[in-house]
Amino acid sequence: MPPDGLHPPSQPSPPSQSAPPAPPAPPPRPRQVVVWQHDQARLEHDVIGLGDVQSDTPYGRLLVRSLTRAQLGLSLMCLALAVVVVASLPLLAALWPGARRVTVAGLPLTLIVLGAGIYPVLMAIGWFYHHQASQLEARFIDLVDPPDRRLDG
Amino acid sequence: MADAAAVSAIGCVTLLTVAVGARGVRVARTPADFMVAARAVPPGLNAAAISGEYLSAASFLGVAGLIVSEGLGALWYSVGYTAGYLVLLLLVAAPLRRFGAYTIPDFADGRLASPSLRRTTTALVLVIGWFYLLPQMKGAGITLQLVLGTPYWVGVVALGVVVSANIAMGGMKGITFVQCFQYWLKLCAIGVPALVLLMAAGRGPTGNLSALHQPVFTRSTAIRVETSTVFTLNRPAVVQVSGLLDRASLDYGQVRLAAGQHVAGAGAVLRFGAGAPVPTGLGIAQASPAMWDSPFLTAGTGGAHPLVATYGVIIATLFGAIGLPHILVRFYTNPDGEAARRTTLIVVLLLSTFYLFPAVLAVLARLRAPELYLTSDPDSVVLSLPPLLLAGRAGMLLAALVAAGAFAAFLSTSSGLLVSVAGALSHDIMRGGVGTFRLCAVLAGAVATLAALPVDRFSLGLLVGWAFAIAASSFCPLIVLGIWWRRLTWIGATAGVVVGGGACFCAIVATMFGAAAHGWGATLLGQPAVWTVPLAFVVMIVMSLLTSRAIPPHVELVMLRMHLPEALIRRTYAARRPKPQQY
Repeated sequence: MPPDGLHPPSQPSPPSQSAPPAPPAPPPRPRQVVVWQHDQARLEHDVIGLGDVQSDTPYGRLLVRSLTRAQLGLSLMCLALAVVVVASLPLLAALWPGARRVTVAGLPLTLIVLGAGIYPVLMAIGWFYHHQASQLEARFIDLVDPPDRRLDG
Repeated sequence: MADAAAVSAIGCVTLLTVAVGARGVRVARTPADFMVAARAVPPGLNAAAISGEYLSAASFLGVAGLIVSEGLGALWYSVGYTAGYLVLLLLVAAPLRRFGAYTIPDFADGRLASPSLRRTTTALVLVIGWFYLLPQMKGAGITLQLVLGTPYWVGVVALGVVVSANIAMGGMKGITFVQCFQYWLKLCAIGVPALVLLMAAGRGPTGNLSALHQPVFTRSTAIRVETSTVFTLNRPAVVQVSGLLDRASLDYGQVRLAAGQHVAGAGAVLRFGAGAPVPTGLGIAQASPAMWDSPFLTAGTGGAHPLVATYGVIIATLFGAIGLPHILVRFYTNPDGEAARRTTLIVVLLLSTFYLFPAVLAVLARLRAPELYLTSDPDSVVLSLPPLLLAGRAGMLLAALVAAGAFAAFLSTSSGLLVSVAGALSHDIMRGGVGTFRLCAVLAGAVATLAALPVDRFSLGLLVGWAFAIAASSFCPLIVLGIWWRRLTWIGATAGVVVGGGACFCAIVATMFGAAAHGWGATLLGQPAVWTVPLAFVVMIVMSLLTSRAIPPHVELVMLRMHLPEALIRRTYAARRPKPQQY
């Protein structure tokens, strides 16, 4: 099935202009991976940016790795929060056996916490993550493809 | 009357499902249409469809049944099912959508470039899919048993036929709309009865919720003992007995039973008056009254190590949702990664709303009809509660609504599962097109129906929890490490999936055959996720580090595709597209 935009190269990358015509045994060249064949819109390479990400230069790799790392950091932070919220409850109940006898308005505390109280907390963590992840991606887009340098305006 | 209403409600749900599915036939033309609704579903609709597919028999009947029979600790299942989607949002939602795979074998093969890993994961999709189909079929069996009085197998076969025929005809294009409709149907079918019954019967003493004394009957109740049973009373009670009791044959004689153990013969009828203590040990095995308010979940483990068993359930449900074979396909129907995150967040909200109500119904059952778990399979508590608490036509109509919602739950989840199983069979094993997909749908449905016939003694919640445990110890590490860790290799992934999934599957099968009844053995076999999930992660990481030469050469490209926001890709498209004024 076709991915959304970034294809593996369907044809070998075009040879550079200065290469000698068809040597009998070509010396091993550094492997070129073309992530995006920007043959119609040439992006300038003097500033690190979208072009580097698309043509898989070392700067592009650095940028993508920094994005991945930031996203992973955010995800792990929120995961730790969620796991602490959920997994601390059985531990608390084990350390404080009297908790199960506590009732609020005739209803056991266990029922109130596990039956209703925990859901808003989970929602809040999810909303926080969604918000932060969207901001993180927006910042990355502005970094690699600043609005004033966009070709499509 | 109750039967007529319930039957017509179930009939309506089924007909509507088939009708909307049939409407999709005209739209579905290509295999992609059949499998994922052509990727054009907005987040709100998609979230309802995901929730509709996810809320299975276990959520609709199983959670409430487990709360009534095992105690408040069973709430961990509903918390875990919801938190599982939060974990899915945090770790995999957007990258998985950006990767753009239909199925887990597609993901495994695309990420790690290994046809042999594709075969391994396909086999596991079949195992998890069929395992998860069993409780849905069981739910249909007991629902029809209760509503129509038909034998257990009739409901199982009916569900199998309806679902496989519908999938074979319509595929997913119809199913997306069906699933969405079924979420709202299920929410109404559990929310309305819960609120109505709460208003009708919610006021009054809450003594039955307390663990300090045994529950008492709230009205005069007759219990028919099917097989010879030992039961325990914790204080004396006056009982009207017909049949064999404590080796004496009685004919509707009033007997004063002392506190302690008694034996009722097969066929005996015991009538307890209002205020009499509810005996324990009668009918199904249930937690002792002192355990009912325990915040720990001990189902399936013998109860020796409640804390460890509870953590087993938490780990299985938290990480199992990521690895369910019918969930990934749903992410492909989002337009982009950002929409996938929004969809998942809405799913967490929809699930949280739904899971408030099974708890309400279970607590009402405990408060006002504590005899329910003696007289029937705890899984049917939700179905039999409305007529008990609300006399007359209103109670019957509510019962019909609940039965319709329960059937919607079986239909929607088993449809999604059957699409995944049939997709894996036709796409990865037989390599066919739409025709093969239809054949595989019928075939997979038949296998699930036959396998569901002998499982009626296992609780729905337990069966679904086990399917989650297998998914959490096999596909979850594969997908999470595949998305975030560049050094994963196909050898490491295969080792982790086989060791983790295999260990978990063996432990569960051992529990089903009664390998260990108590102690650490029962705990670690009954809730295996507590050790198989870490085991799968460790094996996968260690084996990948040992085989680092097998890191696929295109890993940077795949990482780029999974983590780069689509806006950048779209912008490049816009820049690349020839501008009209240039020509």
